[in-house]
Amino acid sequence: MSSSSFNAFAMAQSQFDKIAEMLDLDQASRDLLRTPNREYHFNIPVRMDSGNMQIFRGFRVQHNDARGPGKGGVRFHPMETIDTVRALSMWMTWKTAAVDIPLGGSKGGIICDPHNLSLNEQEQLCRGWVRQIARNVGPVTDIPAPDVMTNAQHMLWMLDEFEVIFGGRYPGFITGKPVGVGGSLGRKEATGYGVIITLREMLKELDIRPMDTTASIQGFGNVAQHAIDLYHQLGGKTLCVSSWDQEDQTSYSFKKNDGIDLEELRSITNSFGGVDKAKAKELGYEILDGEDWLKQEVDILIPAALENQITRDNVALISEQVKIIAEGANGPTEPAADDEIKRRGIQMIPDLLANAGGVTCSYFEQVQNNMNYYWPRDEVLGKLDTKMTTSYIAVSELARQKNLYMRDAAYVIAIGRVVQASKDRGWI
Amino acid sequence: MNKKKKTRSELLLQELREREKELRCIYEIDEILSQQNLSIEELLSQVVKVIPNGWQYPDICFAKIDYDNKEYCSGQCTESPWLLKADVKVKDEKIGVVYVSYSEERPKEFEGPFLKEELDLIKGIAEHIKRALQHRQLKDLFDQTQDVDPREDEWLTILELLRNTDSPLLARLSRKMTNFLFLGGSEEAKELLEHFSPSYKEDDSGLVENLNQPRKRIAIQDLLPISEKVFQIAVKTLGKNHTLKAIQKWIREEKSSFLVNVLGDSKSSLNDISDAIGRYHHLDPTGTELSVPRQKAFRVSLVRRMLSDQTHFINVAKNFFNVNDFYDLLNRVITPAKGSGKLGGKSAGVALADKILKSSYKHKELFANIKTPKTWYITSDGSRSFLVYNNLEEVFDQKYKEITQVQFEYPHVIQVFKNSHLSPEIVKGLSLALDDFGETPLIVRSSSLLEDGLGAAFAGKYRSVFIANQGSKQERLIELMDAIAEVYASMFGPDPIKYRAERNLLDFHEEMGVMIQEVVGKKVGQYYFPTCAGVALSKNDFLWSPRIKPEDGLIRLVPGLGTSAVDRLGDDYPALIAPGQPTLSVNASIDEKIRYSPKGIDVINLTTRSFETIELRKLMGEVGSEYPNISQVMSILDQDRFRKIMPLFDNLETSNLVVTFDVLRKETNFIKQVGAMLNVLEEVLGVPVDIEFASDGDNLYLLQCRPQSYGDEYEPVDIPVPASEESVLFTANRFVSNGLLKGITHIVYVDPVNYGKLESREALLNVGRAVGKLNQLLPKRCFILMGPGRWGSRGDIKLGVNVTYSDISNTAMLIEIARKQGSYVPDLSFGTHFFQDLVEASIRYLPLYPDEYGNVFNEQILMESRNYLEDILPEYAALADTVKVIDVPLAFEGLELSVFMNAAQSRAEAHLTKPSQNDSDEPLRRAHGIPATQTVNHWKWRMNIVEKIAGHLDAEKFGVKAFYLIGSVKNASAGADSDIDILIHFHGTPDQKADLLLWMNAWSVGITEMNALCAGIDPGSLLDVHIVTDKDIKEGNSFAIKIDAVTDAAKLLKMGHLLKSHQEDIDLK
Repeated sequence: MSSSSFNAFAMAQSQFDKIAEMLDLDQASRDLLRTPNREYHFNIPVRMDSGNMQIFRGFRVQHNDARGPGKGGVRFHPMETIDTVRALSMWMTWKTAAVDIPLGGSKGGIICDPHNLSLNEQEQLCRGWVRQIARNVGPVTDIPAPDVMTNAQHMLWMLDEFEVIFGGRYPGFITGKPVGVGGSLGRKEATGYGVIITLREMLKELDIRPMDTTASIQGFGNVAQHAIDLYHQLGGKTLCVSSWDQEDQTSYSFKKNDGIDLEELRSITNSFGGVDKAKAKELGYEILDGEDWLKQEVDILIPAALENQITRDNVALISEQVKIIAEGANGPTEPAADDEIKRRGIQMIPDLLANAGGVTCSYFEQVQNNMNYYWPRDEVLGKLDTKMTTSYIAVSELARQKNLYMRDAAYVIAIGRVVQASKDRGWI
Repeated sequence: MNKKKKTRSELLLQELREREKELRCIYEIDEILSQQNLSIEELLSQVVKVIPNGWQYPDICFAKIDYDNKEYCSGQCTESPWLLKADVKVKDEKIGVVYVSYSEERPKEFEGPFLKEELDLIKGIAEHIKRALQHRQLKDLFDQTQDVDPREDEWLTILELLRNTDSPLLARLSRKMTNFLFLGGSEEAKELLEHFSPSYKEDDSGLVENLNQPRKRIAIQDLLPISEKVFQIAVKTLGKNHTLKAIQKWIREEKSSFLVNVLGDSKSSLNDISDAIGRYHHLDPTGTELSVPRQKAFRVSLVRRMLSDQTHFINVAKNFFNVNDFYDLLNRVITPAKGSGKLGGKSAGVALADKILKSSYKHKELFANIKTPKTWYITSDGSRSFLVYNNLEEVFDQKYKEITQVQFEYPHVIQVFKNSHLSPEIVKGLSLALDDFGETPLIVRSSSLLEDGLGAAFAGKYRSVFIANQGSKQERLIELMDAIAEVYASMFGPDPIKYRAERNLLDFHEEMGVMIQEVVGKKVGQYYFPTCAGVALSKNDFLWSPRIKPEDGLIRLVPGLGTSAVDRLGDDYPALIAPGQPTLSVNASIDEKIRYSPKGIDVINLTTRSFETIELRKLMGEVGSEYPNISQVMSILDQDRFRKIMPLFDNLETSNLVVTFDVLRKETNFIKQVGAMLNVLEEVLGVPVDIEFASDGDNLYLLQCRPQSYGDEYEPVDIPVPASEESVLFTANRFVSNGLLKGITHIVYVDPVNYGKLESREALLNVGRAVGKLNQLLPKRCFILMGPGRWGSRGDIKLGVNVTYSDISNTAMLIEIARKQGSYVPDLSFGTHFFQDLVEASIRYLPLYPDEYGNVFNEQILMESRNYLEDILPEYAALADTVKVIDVPLAFEGLELSVFMNAAQSRAEAHLTKPSQNDSDEPLRRAHGIPATQTVNHWKWRMNIVEKIAGHLDAEKFGVKAFYLIGSVKNASAGADSDIDILIHFHGTPDQKADLLLWMNAWSVGITEMNALCAGIDPGSLLDVHIVTDKDIKEGNSFAIKIDAVTDAAKLLKMGHLLKSHQEDIDLK
């Protein structure tokens, strides 16, 4: 690889510096928040299937837990670096604060390539990670979750090891568990629904009835499908969705002028959100280029697939009719495109807010675990609605009052909350 | 017309049914007669009951056997005028009679209401009964003598009996005994010997006299009286016990002597062998009565006659087959009349593998449920007889035609074959086979003599055809014959011919046997398929983790029929498992596991009677839990994890199912079985193997076994320190195998970014075409192909350049560049037939991940070097941004590219290196996976020479505009007697021309002499110089068309570059 000196942590710090400047933070606050509170680096010995021992390197970075126990995933990655983990833990601190859930920000990882490990070895690795860090994590200190290359199975192994060490049942130690072993209902829907809840609130403010709006959505995976579901329940109409075509290695947009039928489209979609092109054509969908979702004459755009999709180059293609962009994906808008969006007065619901339904639901999972009482799906989603609505209003009001761009407002609120909690505790 | 034809074929079918009835009747009788534990009474009363089944009207047919004053009847005895009978005779003496009669009148046939064949049948039955009775008598006798101490005159009783029943045998025994005694030095025996051997007598007249008469009768008449004397002497000399033992041994061997005769006679047909083995089987169903050497001799000759004459194969096979195995095999062999062909490589391979596995003591339990599917065979001479029968002999010349012509004519060959007929004997055999198979789907596989031989696996070159085998017998027969014709036609397809040409196998007399194999599987709904199937290889050359070693092997596994595990498909993936490291899966995350899981399944649709690939999702919607052993194949994706299917809870029609084979891997010993199979077979056969298998959920079936191509060139090499940082073209750290490529002079680089930018499908396809042409023009095995994503993509060509194997067949290495695009890295080319093609041709495969940390990808070399595409293929100049052709020595002052690969370090590096001096044929040798053969040397030697000639040619002096190479040397196919075709573009004066020719002639004389010394062949003048002028080129005359031709263009050689140094040399002196 050409030795690009890209450093995720340096970038996260400069992003923080920008907001710190806006908030005019004192030096102590900046010093506290520019770097993680605690970092753990440790060895994990694993007896491999062959009988040999192999030593793996593990991390846990706790950026800030002033507002509550740390929260963040555990990644398996062969090229993991501590700086990546630091950056991601900081991002978690802002994320939990933005939606005002009482959790802090953490991240962890193990340098390994799961392609080279049997399941048994992966289990030993998970258990070994927990043994090394058990005293510094837990339901009231720091709560791990699945991340890159880890899934529910890894979480259950970690949970089991933790419970063996502490001799009890502590389901609140970890999130991302399946229902029945401490998982929460409504997790699948949470992110997509969250996007639409914030959108609904924005429409309310703009005094537009959802049934009078149309939308175009990039992606047709889990987030997009649930977003469309709730949006249609509210009376909106989706004219276009785009989806990645694995066979052609390109994406296509699927358009129907009288609105797409979610169930119909789902029935011809694979588990990766890839829509069957031929069948879609049969069903009367117009097949357009992958980027065409962006050009549609609609009121709302929801990028819900990948990062860096709205760029300096294509932002001009956005129709005059578009009033709102709701970021269902992480980082779908390039900073350069933000300026143009600001200039045109398009309303932005930033990812920090719009896609926080997922982390909110993880929080609910943990809450249910800690009281060992589980809510029905509707109750989870009802509480999600309340939480998302409140958070949206807070950000939106700040933006209006201080005349901030919504993205900046979300950061300002998040960082402000963390600074306040740290001050309250007498840390700064 | 149509109607008439139908009745004709109906008649034929009716006739066939009759023959089949008769055969079955004989088989049944044989089966009864071979039951040693029954008394003669029991035998006969059973036999008589099955006799009527062989007749045209079994319902009114009545049979009776008279023997030993007893009558055995098939039913109520009735008198009838419509009667057939045959005597059971021993030595002309009638010992019994077989009767067959009809109780009612029937239309007149050959004799009364009886068919001609039925006359033969009744005689046959009588003969079989006679043999059984005779055998029984002898056996009883020996049984008595074996245990009891022989009484005084016991041996006399035996002689008496032999004399009465089988006097020729007695004659031979007497002679043997005489010889035996004589060799032991008995004087008396010497005297006796004269009786046996007329030539031993001094008297010549006796000899003449004897010659005029049938020798056998004389001998018998002469010998019978003296045989008693012989044995008296024997008893005297050897003692009673020894004599008796000797007689007993010889009688046993006598019993199989007919088999020796048949096997020894190279003219005996397979039918003769089959009859002889059948007879032998009845005499000795357990095969234990033979002496060890004789048994071995039988095995060897049977293996040689029926399976393979390769010494290595025979060496192994003789230890595993016994004569009775061939009896079972021959029951299912179809051969043309007087046929003497073999079963072919594939059939031999699987038959041997099956025997090896069955005799593995160590894995007896593990292999208990490993089987081979029921198979019928057509011998290899069937293909020849098919061609002769239809007067298609001219297609034999096909292999010597230009490959493009072969390609062009192939579709017609297929049609002609499909419209031809199989000979009647084969059709009869197929009819029998179909009755045996019933309506089970079948696969018709090629099993040619060349196929599956060591070093030439011919993977997928010849056709295998699935047939549903449903409907009326006639429909099924027609479908089967059609499939066989198609398999025959594939002998003359362009791919196998090209493959053979590359391996110098064109002149081999190729014949194709056919295997008709029951398709392993179960009927589910309207479909038929196995639980899973696939291929397994002893050596894994596709290492997805550094922890996997080549010895860990490789299984490619798919649900349903195994075709997609073998074939390269653009859009689906088989599961890959290394049996030595079963826990290390290729895919780690859930996303990967879903993405790279098989999505389609190959099945036989019994309703449409066709082979189909259908979506698994669709299949599951239709059949759901009926899928055999579904829980072994698929898992349910439930809340971010895979779990085992729980049939009680899960609704399979609607669940989110993914093919993981998790349960098959963890809860069955399937992987262990396949791994052990690979180990055992590799150990016994002495080579790494490649097997095909299928599982119907209960049993594991071995479908094919052949040597895996994997050779010395896969030795790990040490990666040297590069001369400088700039001299490293690329490094790779994943999926690296072992080996070393040297002497790479050209790089063909398809720029991933610009390829991605090509807008029209046409432009993308053009890239593939350009590569195909470069493949023809660039020096064989001296260039590498580098391109984005998957080479050989078909439908999804954005993903990789659309090429077939023949478009890349000359490259030394195929490199796939997986550049990160957004968050995704393009898929790799997982191995398939194409992959095997690469392995077979020793074309190396290497994926590059330039964006992965620690990898070098020196794009600068590729971007900044001069692009020769336009010079070589002017018609593709428009693609110059996308396709780059780099001449390494020209661009880097004579350096060459070398690729060092070391699997253990999981590292490969390509360096610019100085060309080494003394191993000029090295790349080719490795490329062919064979030690430096004559062919290879000859080509490279000629290439060097011709480059030297061009280098020394003073273009100006002789008026030469350009110097081209054409023909076999250019195409790297030159042999010891090939000449060197040179094309000279001349524009000088007649004087210059004369000088030029003189100069060239001098070279020619010199190198012709050199060649004769090295190769021992003098094909006459070695240089063949063709002169063309501007005019010729303009008008496209004769050889001039080769210049800048689209295919097989003349290769332009550099002139005069050696001249200067040469002159300097002289000057210095």
